[in-house]
Amino acid sequence: MNKQPIVWVFGDHLSPTQPALRQYPNAPALYVWDTAMLARNQLSLKRIAFVYECLLELPVEIQRGHPVDVLSAFAQAHNTNTIVTVDSVSPRFQQHCQRLSEKGFAVERLTPEPFVKIDQDRDLKRASRYWRQIQAVAFTKTESS
Amino acid sequence: MQRAFKTRAELIDYLRDQFPDAAQRDDAISGMRGGRQAGLALLQQIDPKAYGASRNALDGAVSRLSPYIRHGALSLTEVRDYALTLSDNPRADANKFVFELAYRDYFQHVYAKEGVSIWDDLEPYKTGFTAQDYADQLPADILNAATGVTAMDAFIQELYATGYLHNHARMWLAAYVVHWRRIKWQAGARWFLQHLLDGDPASNNLSWQWVASTFSHKPYFFNLDNLHKYSGKQYYDRTGEAGHAIFDASYETLAARLFPNLPPQPKRPQKTTKKGKRRQRPHYHE
Ligand SMILES: Cc1cc2nc3c(=O)[nH]c(=O)nc-3n(C[C@H](O)[C@H](O)[C@H](O)COP(=O)(O)OP(=O)(O)OC[C@H]3O[C@@H](n4cnc5c(N)ncnc54)[C@H](O)[C@@H]3O)c2cc1C
Repeated sequence: MNKQPIVWVFGDHLSPTQPALRQYPNAPALYVWDTAMLARNQLSLKRIAFVYECLLELPVEIQRGHPVDVLSAFAQAHNTNTIVTVDSVSPRFQQHCQRLSEKGFAVERLTPEPFVKIDQDRDLKRASRYWRQIQAVAFTKTESS
Repeated sequence: MQRAFKTRAELIDYLRDQFPDAAQRDDAISGMRGGRQAGLALLQQIDPKAYGASRNALDGAVSRLSPYIRHGALSLTEVRDYALTLSDNPRADANKFVFELAYRDYFQHVYAKEGVSIWDDLEPYKTGFTAQDYADQLPADILNAATGVTAMDAFIQELYATGYLHNHARMWLAAYVVHWRRIKWQAGARWFLQHLLDGDPASNNLSWQWVASTFSHKPYFFNLDNLHKYSGKQYYDRTGEAGHAIFDASYETLAARLFPNLPPQPKRPQKTTKKGKRRQRPHYHE
C-alpha cells in the first residue's frame, strides 16, 4: 500500500489554496461530477460551466459517475486506501464519506478555516442573535493571513 | 475529462457535448467566469464603505463574489480579511459588508445542524395559511418569464441568462412567488438552485424560508414604492407599469389582501423621513 493518499476535491472548496491541496501538493487529486445529482437537481449548463472553469485552475483529474465508486477506483489505481478531503456541511458529502469509510477507506477530513472562533455554542435561532454573539470577533483578521 | 481548451468557446462546446441533458434544459452560459483568478480580480474591486450605503439598490456597490465564495474559489475568511485592510476603521466602514458575510456563515451553521431538513418548513407559515394552501409547482408563466409583471419577468430572464440576481431582486421575486402566487417556497428554491451560479442549499433555502415566514416572525413582502426606490426606477420609467398594480398599495392594504386570514395589522404611527415622505417598512434587509 502506498503511503501517499489521494485528495478528493469537493465542490465547496475549489481553490488551489484549500487545505487538502496545500497539505498534499504531490498527491493525485480528483474531482467527481456526481451525475445522479446533476440529473436529480437539473442543474443548468451555466452552473456546470462555472464549476468547470474553477476546476481548470486546480491540479485535479476530472471524472464523473457516482463519487464513491469513482473515488474507490481512483484510490485503488493509486494503490492507497487513504482519502484526504476538506470538510463540508453538505449532507451528500457526509454520506459519501460514510460510505467510503464503510468500504474500508481511511477518510481524513481537514477543517476549513472558520469565519470566527468562539468558545460558546453558536446561537442559531435567528441570524440577528448569531450576529450579536459574533460581532465582537468578526472584525478580527485570521492569524495566518 | 478534458482539461485543455484553447478558448472559452471551445470549452463550452465541449460541455454542451458532454452534458447534453443540461444543455437541452437551458443552453445559456453566464458572462461570469469561474475560477479563483476571476474571483480575485473581483475582490480587488470591492468597496465596503460604498457597499454599506448602497447595497439595497440594484445598481449599488455589491461585490458579485457569491459564486466564488459558494464554491470556495475564495474563502469567506479571506474575503473578510481583505475587506478589513481597506480602512483604518473597518468596524464602521466595513460593518455592513462583514455583517452580510456573517449571514452566509450563519446559514452554513444552520445547515450543518439541520441537514436535509432545510427542505422542510422549519416553522409554520405565519401568513394565516398552512402549507397545504400553497401550490407544489411553479406554473408555466413563471417558468417562461411571461407573468405579465414587468419587473418579475425581467428578473427571471436575468436569472436564466446570467445565473446571478441582486439580493433585493431575489427577495422581490421570492415574495412574488410565495405570497402573490401562493406557491410553496420549496418550488421556488429548487428553481433558483438550478440557475444561480452561487446556488447553495443553505443560503438559498433559508432565505426562501425567511421570505415565506417559515424561518422568521413574519412574511416578507414589498410594495411598489419599495420596488421603485431600490430599482432606480428602471422598472418605472423605462418599461411603464405593466402588471405592477398588484404591488401598488400601502403595506396595510397589501397585508389585508395577501393574508386575509390574519387579524388586521394595528396601524403604526406614520414615520416620516426628512423629506416628509412615508418611510419604507422597517426591515433589517429592506
Ligand atoms: C430568495 C433568496 C435566495 C438566495 N439564494 C442564495 C444562494 O443560493 N447562494 C448565496 O450565496 N446567496 C443566496 N442568497 C443571498 C444573497 O442574495 C446573495 O448571497 C447575494 O445577493 C450575492 O450577491 P453578492 O455576491 O453581490 O453579495 P454582496 O452583497 O456583495 O455580499 C458579499 C457576500 O456576502 C454573502 N451574502 C450577502 N448577502 C447575503 C445574504 N442575504 N445571505 C447569505 N449570504 C449573503 C455572499 O457570500 C456574498 O457574496 C439568496 C437570497 C434570497 C433572498
